[in-house]
This record gives sequence, structure tokens and C-alpha cells, in this order.
Amino acid sequence: MDGNDQTCPKCKTTKYRNPAMILMVNACGHALCESCVELLFAKGSGACPECKCALRRQNFRIQLFEDPAVDKEVDIRKRILKEFNKRQEDFSTLREYNDYLEEVENIIFNLVFDVDSTNTNKMIDNYKKENKDITMKNRNRQSQEEIELEELLEAEKAQQSEKANSYVNAELEEKKQKHKAREKLIDELMFSDADAKSIVASHVQATAALAKEQPKAAAQAGGPVVKSSKFSSGIQIGLRQNTSSFLPIPKQQDLPLFHYSAPVFDYNGPSPPAIEVLGKLKYFANIRAANATERAGGYTEALSCCRALQEAMGGLFYIPQSGHKTAVAASAEETDDMETA
Amino acid sequence: MLELKHALDAKGHCLLEMPSGTGKTTTLLSLIVAYMKAHPLDLTKLVYCSRTVPEIEKVMEEFRKLMNYYEKEMGMEQNILGLALSSRKNLCIHPSVSKEREGKVVDGRCYGLTASFVRARHAGDDAVPVCNFYEGFDAHGKEFPLPPGVYNLDDLKEYGQAKGWCPYFLARYTITHANIVVYSYHYLLDPKIAEVVSKEISKTSVVVFDEAHNIDNVCIDSMSVKITKRLMDKCSNSIQILETTISNMKENDNRRLEKEYQRLVEGLRDANIARETDMALVNPVLPSEILEEAVPGTIRTAEHFVAFLKRVVEYIKTRLRVQHVVQESPAGFLRDIHIKVCIDRKPLRFTAERFSSLIRTLEISDLTDFSPLVTVSHFATLVSTYTKGFTIIIEPFEDRAPTVSNPILYFSCLDSSIAIKPVFNRFQTVVITSGTLSPLDMYPKILDFHPVIMTSFTMTLARPCILPMIVSKGNDQVAMSSRYETREDTAVIRNYGNLLVEVAAAVPDGIVCFFTSYLYLETIVSSWYDQGIIDQLQRHKLLFIETQDAAETSLALINYIKACDNGRGAVLLSVARGKVSEGIDFDHHLGRAVLMFGIPYVYTQSRILRARLEYLRDQFQIRENDFLTFDAMRHAAQCLGRCMRGKTDYGIMILADKRFSRADKRSKLPKWIQEHLKDTNCNLSTEECVQISKRWLRQMAQPFSREDQLGISLLTLEQLQSEEMQKKIHQRAQAA
Repeated sequence: MDGNDQTCPKCKTTKYRNPAMILMVNACGHALCESCVELLFAKGSGACPECKCALRRQNFRIQLFEDPAVDKEVDIRKRILKEFNKRQEDFSTLREYNDYLEEVENIIFNLVFDVDSTNTNKMIDNYKKENKDITMKNRNRQSQEEIELEELLEAEKAQQSEKANSYVNAELEEKKQKHKAREKLIDELMFSDADAKSIVASHVQATAALAKEQPKAAAQAGGPVVKSSKFSSGIQIGLRQNTSSFLPIPKQQDLPLFHYSAPVFDYNGPSPPAIEVLGKLKYFANIRAANATERAGGYTEALSCCRALQEAMGGLFYIPQSGHKTAVAASAEETDDMETA
Repeated sequence: MLELKHALDAKGHCLLEMPSGTGKTTTLLSLIVAYMKAHPLDLTKLVYCSRTVPEIEKVMEEFRKLMNYYEKEMGMEQNILGLALSSRKNLCIHPSVSKEREGKVVDGRCYGLTASFVRARHAGDDAVPVCNFYEGFDAHGKEFPLPPGVYNLDDLKEYGQAKGWCPYFLARYTITHANIVVYSYHYLLDPKIAEVVSKEISKTSVVVFDEAHNIDNVCIDSMSVKITKRLMDKCSNSIQILETTISNMKENDNRRLEKEYQRLVEGLRDANIARETDMALVNPVLPSEILEEAVPGTIRTAEHFVAFLKRVVEYIKTRLRVQHVVQESPAGFLRDIHIKVCIDRKPLRFTAERFSSLIRTLEISDLTDFSPLVTVSHFATLVSTYTKGFTIIIEPFEDRAPTVSNPILYFSCLDSSIAIKPVFNRFQTVVITSGTLSPLDMYPKILDFHPVIMTSFTMTLARPCILPMIVSKGNDQVAMSSRYETREDTAVIRNYGNLLVEVAAAVPDGIVCFFTSYLYLETIVSSWYDQGIIDQLQRHKLLFIETQDAAETSLALINYIKACDNGRGAVLLSVARGKVSEGIDFDHHLGRAVLMFGIPYVYTQSRILRARLEYLRDQFQIRENDFLTFDAMRHAAQCLGRCMRGKTDYGIMILADKRFSRADKRSKLPKWIQEHLKDTNCNLSTEECVQISKRWLRQMAQPFSREDQLGISLLTLEQLQSEEMQKKIHQRAQAA
């Protein structure tokens, strides 16, 4: 029943006899089975056995619909709509837009039924020339409706996954709680000296209170759980934007500007010479010069020399009476600072 | 009555649960009529919706009694007009059309005789047949309104015969100025019909939905569409017919197509639509801002529209060719149809309207051929209008027979509030009432409205005339349950059988048993047969079984009633949610005991149900289990309520499942049953149950006269006016 009556017009195979048969159609809208296509179009091109129009093998597609004419129409339609893609926004009135739509429909109709094809083709060409830029522009732009649909789908998807998770969690949580309450009751009954009846009564009360709370919690959870596909500012999460509106510029916050001031170090000793003048003061005479590989890594002998000097001179004026602990902390801090400096 | 008046005063909606047989209809009618008389400006009309034709007739009888009483007490003719409305099938008096049995055929033939173009043709050519009754009505009926009084369906027919007017159109015309209208749910809930019939009912009306425990399902059904492979094949055929008709018309009489085209270009709404007889094809609900828009250019001319339809049909066919189950949202469907066959959402939305316009233009008088296309056009319009609350499920085969290819596309409404929303919005008071509405708080949630009053009433009874019991175990202490794990267990099946046999031995006259499904009924009966239980049962009573075939079932019912009437006694095995459980009363000796074997849960594996549960959970925070239990318990309550149809009636109600005694199930029974369900009767074995029922039956079998009820459940006028009673009433009113 389901498409079993489909027959290849050339070899007369039916879907019933050969379930693997696949019908193909080409631009003329006549069907052929796959093996016939291979046989007849072995050279890559040939004539349609029914209407004798020239066809290329590449253009054969699997027949999607029961009626090959619909396949042909959809094919033409897709081609035409690629060019004729004006939107309602491009017209000043709805009436004009509707007239345009009908015009398009007429063209498609003419092509499908081969009515007045020369004129129609001329019209298409004219249109192509005239409206090149609008066509190009619209090709990259989705219509309002499509955007709406996409948004809906996205929101649905997000909602679904989010909800599913939250409910599974909620149910698990509830089960756990019930289990806990039951265990607690049994424990109490086992170990407490109070009257069993009162324990049971209080337990019943507690569960009732919990049950009352739960729907509220569920309702609350139900509210914010909906993960929207938008930020709170109303901007869509994701790439696509409403073409009409720009991204709002993030508002700047008025914090006090940053001012640089050189760090002041308290060496608690004589100040060491600056790193730039070490060479002049001939400090390098006594240390190993950095080799080529070290220099490539950014190391110079000045760095270690400067560091050694700072360490040597720092804390020379230190007097131990002023409290042992703080001094240690202070010196630790100093070395830290020096490293960063 | 007090609650009802509160609701009327507040102009809000209310939800009332009243046990059946306690004068629900009379109460509603008498108060609303009195209110109408007292405040003629605040309340102009009562629309009473019921389910079936017999129920409608019953309401009309009550109303007639009330009017007679008014006349007797007030001593003059009352200026109130009440009438019942039903389909053409029930109201037609045309000599040949009324002989037809099927409703659709009657509608189609009526349309063929009364459509405006047929009549126009008749004016030119006498050979074209028309309906004389409609002509008579059209010529004179509108000037002379129906005189005040009560008209049920037969009265309308008689009146129509006498005057030579068509009763159907007379009734439809009269609806606008009648005070009381009684008709079926669908005239108000089904958007396809509501627009036509109930459009002109004013806002200051009261709408009563009686027997409304299934109202959510009615709402859902009215918005859902089911498309099968066969339907699509028929669609292809009728498209071909359309094509040939259009080309014929183009050759012979292009003028009409041109005219239609011009009208569509102008964006005018169909002027014809006001013509009452052309309403055979109507729109599903569309937001009015869309209706005001012009039909999009892509489907303006007839050929383009037919090609468009063809594409839609072919597209749906390809979808039906799937090998696995598909579930998607309307948005996904719309995107796919756009990619595959380049159909935008907007023309799709206009499909139904454009189609009906085309049919009118082509002057096709036989509509029965086109019903598949009508379905498809409705589907197209609905799917493109509603993106929320609907789902599309395509099943390539049935779950029970995975090898047989039988593709079906379900376009299923998940949100019952969509269909009923216009009703709540439009009318100032909507009363939803039934014998079994528990748990009450579920209905406002699933129908999405805010009732001002929500009450469950109990009965004041002179004696305990119902005996609900929960039987949880057999004599051998094996727990009884229809749980999936234990339903094949022979011990459980035997215990069910023994329970039935022992009850049958103890209870006189009729016993009705309800099973959870046809499948379960059949397996149980076959194993009872093997175990010899059927033989034992037949020693006491005759046995009748409900089947899925309606004719067979009604035959079984007739014989069951016969057996009960002549005292032989009978057992009827039927299915919850089946025909017997809805709308057939087993009053007095027809049902002295009701047995409910198992909890009637729905078939939970159904994908439509799954989708709906999910939607309810996401949208209304109703948990799946809560809804399933609610649904099961309302059906159980509905089954139990079958045996109790009035204060003089009495009956045993046995709930044979261990799970019924749990608090979550028990608390969902209606209050009037819960009241009689004592804690001691909640966990009985078969023998205990039989003992209790024997004692109770002996008590009930004592003569029971009107005097016994006086002062308790029945008051004379003197008693009512006594000071003590007045005080009591006053107190109650103050407390409420």
C-alpha cells in the first residue's frame, strides 16, 4: 500500500516487486528508476525517455514526493525563490507585497507548466538585473518569521533540558527526604523514652508541614528554572541578533582613574645602587657574565647582581629590640616586594 | 444554592460537585431563573450544556416542571422562552433527508438543499431541488419569533411541521433571544462550531457545564487533529476533483472566480460568511487581527491555492512515510515544511479560510467528499497559529502491532485551557458541575481559570444508603491489586473471582463490575473460565460482558436490564472509561453493587499522554503522578457513582485494590463517598466484606417511605418555615 504502486515508466519495475527500487527525477519532472538512470545516462547526458528533452545525469535526484510533478515544482520554486526573495519590509503596503507574491507564483506556474516560457524567462532576467542588490542583501538576511521560529525552537530546547534536569533532581531530593524522615522516626521509636503515640503524631505533623512547603518550593523552582535564551538586558544569547537593533554599548562605570606611583621600598639599610648604574660602578667585574643562551632567555648579569646587592644591604640598620616577630614578617614582605619590583 | 448565588453576585466562575440524583439540575435551573426574573438586566440568558441528547431532554423536562410550577404559583403565563438545540440529524423534518442515519450525511444533504447558491439557482430554474421547510422559515420565520414556552427537540419538530418551518434553523435563529438554551458542549467548546452557533450570545449569560468531569478531554479533542494515510490518499483524490472543477469553471464561467479573486485582493472578509446556511465549513479559532488581514498573494488565485494544497498534502505524505516515531513541536514542523516545500507560515495560516471560500465559489454542494481536505486545512491553520501547547506525533505503526504499517500523524492539543479560554473570558459566570469532580483543585489548574466558589456538597440522607468498602485482600490473605507486576498472578485473579462470586451470592438483582481495560477484562475472564469461577458465578446470576463493539454492548445492556427486571439477577462486566461507565445509569435494582477491580489508570505508554503530562508538569507544575492518580480516581468515582441515582436508591461500592486504601487515593474520592467510607472498612478481606454487606443489605431492605425522610432529607413547607429551621438556614448563610 505505501507507495507500492510506484512504477518505473521505462522498465516497468514496481516497488512491490523490487522494494529496493528508488525513483529519481530530473528537471522535466518525469520519474525513472535508479538502474534505468544508470543504463540510459551512462554517458553523462541523454534524453528523457518520455518527453525527449535533454538531461544531465548529475541533475537526477531521488524522488521525494509521490507525485513527481510536485518534485519538479518544488525544484523550480526553490530556484526562483532564491532570486525573488523580497520581504514585506521592502514594500510600502501589504497590498503591493501581496501583488508581488502573486507575481512570483505566476512565474513559477508558468515555468512548471511551460506556458509562455520565453516571456517568463525574459521577465526573470529583467528582474534579476533590476533587483540585484536587494536580492543579495536579502539572501543573507533571515525573514522575521524565520527568526521567530528559530527563537521558538531554541527556547523550547533550552526549556526542555533545563526542566528535565530540575525535575529529576527535585524528585530525588524528595525521595531522600522521605527516606530520612522515616529513618528518623524509627530511630526515635527505638531509642527515645517518650510515648510512641506522641512520637508518631509529631512525625506526622512534620511530614505534613514538609508536604505543604514542597509545592511552594516546587512552584518557586518552577519559576526561575526557565532558562531563557536571553540575558536579563534582553539581548539574545548566541550569535544571531535582531537585525534592526544594534548591540547596546556597555555602560562605563565611573571609578577613580588609576595613577601610577613608583613603589617606595624601605630597605632598613643603605640604599643599593640602581640596576642601570651597576655596570658603570664595575660591579660585574667579579661575577660571571651571562652566556648567549641565558641572554636569549632575557637574563642579564645585572639582574642577579642587583638582587644580591639588595639582599646584602637590606636590613643592615635593623635593631632586634623592636619585636622579633614583626621584624621577620616585615623582612619577608620586603623580599617579596623586591622580587616583584 | 447559596454558593451559586454568591457566584452569580460576584459575576465569577464556580465549580460545584453535587452527588447525582439530588436535584442538581432543578436547583441550578430554579435559582438562575429566579435570578433572571429579579435582575433582568444583570443576567439575560442561561446556556445549559450537557453531553448527550437524553440528558438534554432530561434538563428540558425539569425546566418544564419548573415553568408549570411558576404558572401555578404566579397564576399567569411566564414570559420565558427555553429551547433545546441539537444537530440537524435530530431536528430535520425534511421527508427524505431526515431518513438518513449518519449525522454527516444529513449535514451534507441539508447543505446541498439550503446553500445560498443552490437557492439562487432554484430561483432561476425550478428543477433544482430546495428544502421547502427552509424556504418557509426564510420567508416568514424571522418575523414571528417563537412564543414563550418550553420547547424540547420534539416540540420544535412539531412546531416546525405545523408551520412548515425548518426546526433546526428556527432553533438556531431563536438562540439569540431565548432565555434558556440547552445544547451540547460542542456548540460552545469546539471552536469550529462555536463561532457559528454561539457567536451572538451576550456577555451577561450564565453558562452551565453539566456532567463536566471530562471537560478537559472534550476541550482537547476539539482542538486535536488525527491524520491517517488513508485520509491523505482521499485528499489527493479530492484535489484532483478540485482541479478539474476549476478548469471547467474557467472555461465556462470565469466570472465567479474573478469575483472571488477581486474580493481577496481587496482584503475584504467574506461577506458571504454571514449567510447562515453556508456554515458547513468553518474556521478553527484564529486571532481576530489575522482575520482582518488580506489573504496573502501566494494563494490568492484558485489554481495557486490548489497547487499549494497539493504541496501541503504531498509534504504530509512524505512525513507519514517515516520508519520511526517522530515527535516535534509546531515550530519544528513549520521550519521543516518551509525547507522542504517552500511554504511560509502566513499562507498556511489562511488555509482553512481560503479553502472554505474556494468551496463556496465553486458551488460544490456535496461536501462529504471534501471532509478529508477540510481536516487537512484545519490542521494547517492550527499548526501555524499555535506554537505553544501543541505537539505533533507521527507514529508509523501502532504499539501493539509493530509489523503492520499504519502511519498516523497526531496533532495533539496538550493544553485544555486553550479551547475553553474564550468561554471563561466572554461570559460573566460559568458553572462547572458534576457528580464527581474531586479533587476540585485540579480543575482550575488544568483549565487555567480562577473560580470564586469551589465546593463539594454532600447529601443529607435519612439512612446510610451507600456502602463504600475497600477490599484489599482475599480470604487467603493475598493482596489484591491490578498493579502491573501482579496482574498476571493467578492468585490475584482467583481472589478477584472469589470476591465476585461471594458478592453475587449475597447481593440481590444487578451487579456491575468495572475493569481497568478491555485487555485486562478479557484475560481475567478467560482465566476465570479455566478456574471454574464462571460456572460458579452463573449458578447465581447471568453474565453479560461489554465489548468494544457498540452494537454488541447495547444488546448486552438490554438483556442485562431484562434479567434484572424479571428478578433473575445479572452481572455486567464492563470497562472503566468505556461506554457503560459514562452516561448509563444503574439505578435501583439495576445496580445494587458496583465492583471496581483495580485502579483505572490510563495507558501510560501512549505518546500523546506522555507529551501532555510533560506539558502539564512544565506549564502548570502538576506532577505526572498527581495527574495520573487524579485521572484514575475521577474515573473510578464515575464508575462508582453509576449505582447511586437518588435518595431512595441504595448500593454497595466495592473498591477491590490494595492501593485504594492509601491516603493519596482515598482523599481524591468525592466527598459524598468519602463521608460514608469508614476507616474500619478500608482494609477488608473478601469474607469481612461479604459479612458487612449482608448486614447492611438487611437494613436497607426495610420498607422506606416518604415519612422516614421527612424532617431529615426532605422538608415540608411547614417544616421549612418553622423557626428552628429558619434559624439553621440563617446560621449557615452567615457562616458561608
